[in-house]
Amino acid sequence: MEFRGKLSRRTFLRNSTATGIAIAGTTWGTPLLAASNLPDPQSVLDDISISKYVRKDYQKLYGMSDDKPIWDNSKDWIRTVDWEAVRSELSGTTVRFAVGAADAESAAEGLVPFEKLSGIKVELVPIPDDSFYDKALAEFISGNASFDALQFFSPWLGDFAAPGFLHELDGFADKWKLPLDDFYDTYRMNYGFFNGKMYGIPFDCDVQMVHVRKGYMEKLLGGEVDRVNSIPTYDELIRVSRELNKVEPGVSGIGLMAAPGFWSTYTWEHVSAQAGMMLFNENWEPIFNGDAGMKGLEIILELSKNANEGFAGAGWPENRAAWLGGQVATNISWQDSGTQAMRPDQSQIVDDFVTIYEPRIAGGRFAPPNIAGSTSCVAASAQNAEGAFLMLAFLTTGSIMAMNEANANGVAPGYKSVLQNPNLQAVSQPAKVWADSLEHAWCSPRLPGAFPIEQAIGNEINRAVVGQITAKEALDNAATAVKAIMASNGFYQGKDPVDYAEAAPGLYVGEGKALPF
Amino acid sequence: MASQRKNSRGESLLLRYAILGAWALFCLAPVLWFLSIGLRPRTEIITPQPIYWPSFSLDAWHMIWEDWPMAKYLRNSVAAIFGSVIIDLVLAIPAAYSLARYTYRGRDDIGFYILSTRMMAPAIVAIPIFFLFRNVGLLDTVWALMLVYAAINLSFVTWIIRSYMLDIPKELEDAARTDGAGDLRILWEIIIPAILPGIITASVIAMIFAINEFLFTLLIASTPKAYTMSVALANFTGGSDGLIYNAIALVAFLAFVPVFLVVVAIQKHLSRGLTMGAVKG
Amino acid sequence: MSKSSLSDTGATMVAPGAPTHQRARRRSKRLKAWFPYLLVAPAVLYLMLITLYPGVYAVIQSFHQVKFGPWQPVGLANYARLFQDHQFWGAIWNTLVIGSFSLVLQCVLALAVAFYAYRDPWVKGWRIIFLVPMLFMPSAVAFIYKLSFLDARVFADLLMRVGLIDGNIAYQSSIWMSRGILILADVWQWTPFLFIIFVAALQGQDEEVEEAARLDGASWYAIFWNISLPMMKPVIAVALILRAIDITTMFTNVFIITKGGPAFGTETISYFIYRTGFKFFDFGYASSASVVMLVITVIVAQLVVKRAFISARS
Repeated sequence: MEFRGKLSRRTFLRNSTATGIAIAGTTWGTPLLAASNLPDPQSVLDDISISKYVRKDYQKLYGMSDDKPIWDNSKDWIRTVDWEAVRSELSGTTVRFAVGAADAESAAEGLVPFEKLSGIKVELVPIPDDSFYDKALAEFISGNASFDALQFFSPWLGDFAAPGFLHELDGFADKWKLPLDDFYDTYRMNYGFFNGKMYGIPFDCDVQMVHVRKGYMEKLLGGEVDRVNSIPTYDELIRVSRELNKVEPGVSGIGLMAAPGFWSTYTWEHVSAQAGMMLFNENWEPIFNGDAGMKGLEIILELSKNANEGFAGAGWPENRAAWLGGQVATNISWQDSGTQAMRPDQSQIVDDFVTIYEPRIAGGRFAPPNIAGSTSCVAASAQNAEGAFLMLAFLTTGSIMAMNEANANGVAPGYKSVLQNPNLQAVSQPAKVWADSLEHAWCSPRLPGAFPIEQAIGNEINRAVVGQITAKEALDNAATAVKAIMASNGFYQGKDPVDYAEAAPGLYVGEGKALPF
Repeated sequence: MASQRKNSRGESLLLRYAILGAWALFCLAPVLWFLSIGLRPRTEIITPQPIYWPSFSLDAWHMIWEDWPMAKYLRNSVAAIFGSVIIDLVLAIPAAYSLARYTYRGRDDIGFYILSTRMMAPAIVAIPIFFLFRNVGLLDTVWALMLVYAAINLSFVTWIIRSYMLDIPKELEDAARTDGAGDLRILWEIIIPAILPGIITASVIAMIFAINEFLFTLLIASTPKAYTMSVALANFTGGSDGLIYNAIALVAFLAFVPVFLVVVAIQKHLSRGLTMGAVKG
Repeated sequence: MSKSSLSDTGATMVAPGAPTHQRARRRSKRLKAWFPYLLVAPAVLYLMLITLYPGVYAVIQSFHQVKFGPWQPVGLANYARLFQDHQFWGAIWNTLVIGSFSLVLQCVLALAVAFYAYRDPWVKGWRIIFLVPMLFMPSAVAFIYKLSFLDARVFADLLMRVGLIDGNIAYQSSIWMSRGILILADVWQWTPFLFIIFVAALQGQDEEVEEAARLDGASWYAIFWNISLPMMKPVIAVALILRAIDITTMFTNVFIITKGGPAFGTETISYFIYRTGFKFFDFGYASSASVVMLVITVIVAQLVVKRAFISARS
């Protein structure tokens, strides 16, 4: 979840170096290895392993070892691509990679295996995290960006892709056999494709889920928690959170993120999606202030009566702290709240929580929300677009993403072969439910202007949540604001910057599918 | 002690000590509690009910030195702050001398202009300064911070030094002048030594303000390359590690101790410094 | 500095006599007239770079729509939008409300504490203790308050323990309570600033006057109200103005504790400008808000601050 701060990739890379990944010899800034003395690819690949990448204490805690792979080698791109072919075509070339400056040093080390495998030299272009969007856009506009590849918060995809700043990747993906079909549809369609063309490789694949505390729930139910039936509906979640609100002093019924800005938007989208809410109609006119959106907001207002005290100011960091510290009995949050809670160095509730299937809403649908991950792209002006693509494919490959999840660093894999792997499910508590949920995921479209749109909606929802305005006023205000933002981004003027028909299938991928339980 | 004599009459000592004691508690309790945060494990900070007697842990200490480039942040802070104070003194001493010792047209307006820059909200100038530094390639450098801190404190430093200069008897200078000393020599050999306490006071206060500066640093220093302690703190809150309060608390105390010691040393001059010389302590 | 040393030698060269000397004297006189300006010039130029240049830049930018590419002139559109923006007016209102509560509280508390402390034999010790909050980095102070009120809920827990309330408090669901936290944090950190100044002013007063009133049978409170306080007026004015400047530019606490929420109820002007400029990249619009603030600042400076500082000095 890199948008939440600056540390996600850093954490991973730090972990990998801390455990002594065998990359000694080459460091950032030293000249490229001569093509002739590149090491045997297999020996490099063998070192991209659990024992070298995953934190030692977590390895021990879960009995992880290289004998129990948490990914599928046959779907792991770095183990299927022909590195000799890569070397023969691209060895000796250079790729410039825009990376959040905080990560630059550790990213360099994480990319050394790629340099060894491909013979491509990676030059990092550190961009200050705070001004990443601003700087990247400015460079795109200049027509001569100082980087070939970049990773960024996925809502910006529309802003970057619509004006043609990004390089099409379809050709490369075919040529180098990127396992696109292994990605869950929701990520491939929304983080990968824009207007029918491929521009991105999904990177941080987040989803929102509902987590509950095992002990409290068992007390309430008088038996084990069932991931499907214990809280089958949002009405039941309201009831349960009301009961659990009294379970112990200092513990609230439910944790919610309802701070101004996108936090409120995400929580509301999460619930409303279950009521069948869609943000736009086929003319890109906002329709989220209709019945489904209202239903979602009403549920949130109802839940907020049992919520932790800080919910109206809570973004992810605050919600995470409250959940891991044991202040809330249930929680609506990202999947990583269900991974990090397992880790005793961060959590007070190890072994005392369960991630459940999304509660349903009568008249709605099962639509777990894919919200706010990141994607990785190649600049249209790239000098070495193919090399950039290969580097991104390396960074997002199944094995490395699986080990991110094992390290609980918040960078989430979006591969079926990873999330469905039983060994991974053993070290990532939510993985099973998560994997099932993604087949039915809801997603907001990656439009130009998506970021201000999310801010505008969330600001109004926060006002409703603290009782300044009614739910109806909030959504109507938001719809007006969104329409204005859309207009200023070129919508409603004949040719919309995004073709609705192209975007529509990705917005809800569960249509007509049987429920997973 | 004249004051002690007064105490014995009238006013209730009990009330006085109750009030002063209560205020001391109000000042110190949050600080002590925060210190206890810095010395406890992370899992005992945010809990259903606060833990008042935590277990002792140096986790945060190891984290700030081993996982974070805290030494670098510290270096950045020190470099930017000392650099800015030197710039300030070089600019402020002649300016203060001019304002304190000469009569000329526009003097009061110039003096007030210098003073009024203190009133400029950082947010107002933040955007242009951001672009200015970006265009000259100084964004995200310690140099930029140095220049900004110097600008923020210049009015303060000038006015404090001016106030101390006004106190120097004119006769001292006149004597030197009749001996044939030029204005600059008088400034260098007579005035500066005489107002050394003022210069030190001004420097200390400038340092405190520079350490505290937040908005500019946040905007100008966007990577660890130029992070200072103040902004590094705010960045313990991002990312998938969440809020790391024990590290925040410990860093806060690391920055506090030297500042506290220096300020205690110049206590006598503090009130005068804080009012830019308007109050003589 | 080379210029000033030139004029320095000019000044010492003044000597009686010949026509050549006449010219030299004229030149030296001219230099002498310029000398004080030369001394003050570097400081003024430096400050202009950091205030006047940005001022002009902001004014120009405020007439444009700025989004990375070339600036598009939009005339007064940014201002028209600004004056209709309820968030902008809200930010002004919030700044005034938070600022005035905070300032009044600080002033009253600092005066009260100073009144009890200045005649105490251990005043130096008290002063060191009371200084502590002021010497913490403001960002650290913001975290102290965020943690003790919001995340770890210590304050509510203590109230519960003494039986004043029976549940945690949802500060962030209430605009006034959120403002209250900002006010409290500011009061905690900056009352010492006023205290130090007030104690110094009280200590500096003429003891004879107090003593005389005392002999006439006046109580300490009466003396304080009728003699000390009126004498302190100029000092109080200066001190409050300095505090007011900092309070109205409040940013750090908002940034860390409330992020302007709930419902924009704690968004100050500084935070508004930061958010529109650096979070929405709407620099032209943010600049128009800066310009409005600049105008207000200049007016206040001319009307209030100048007078206060002049009367304090004389």
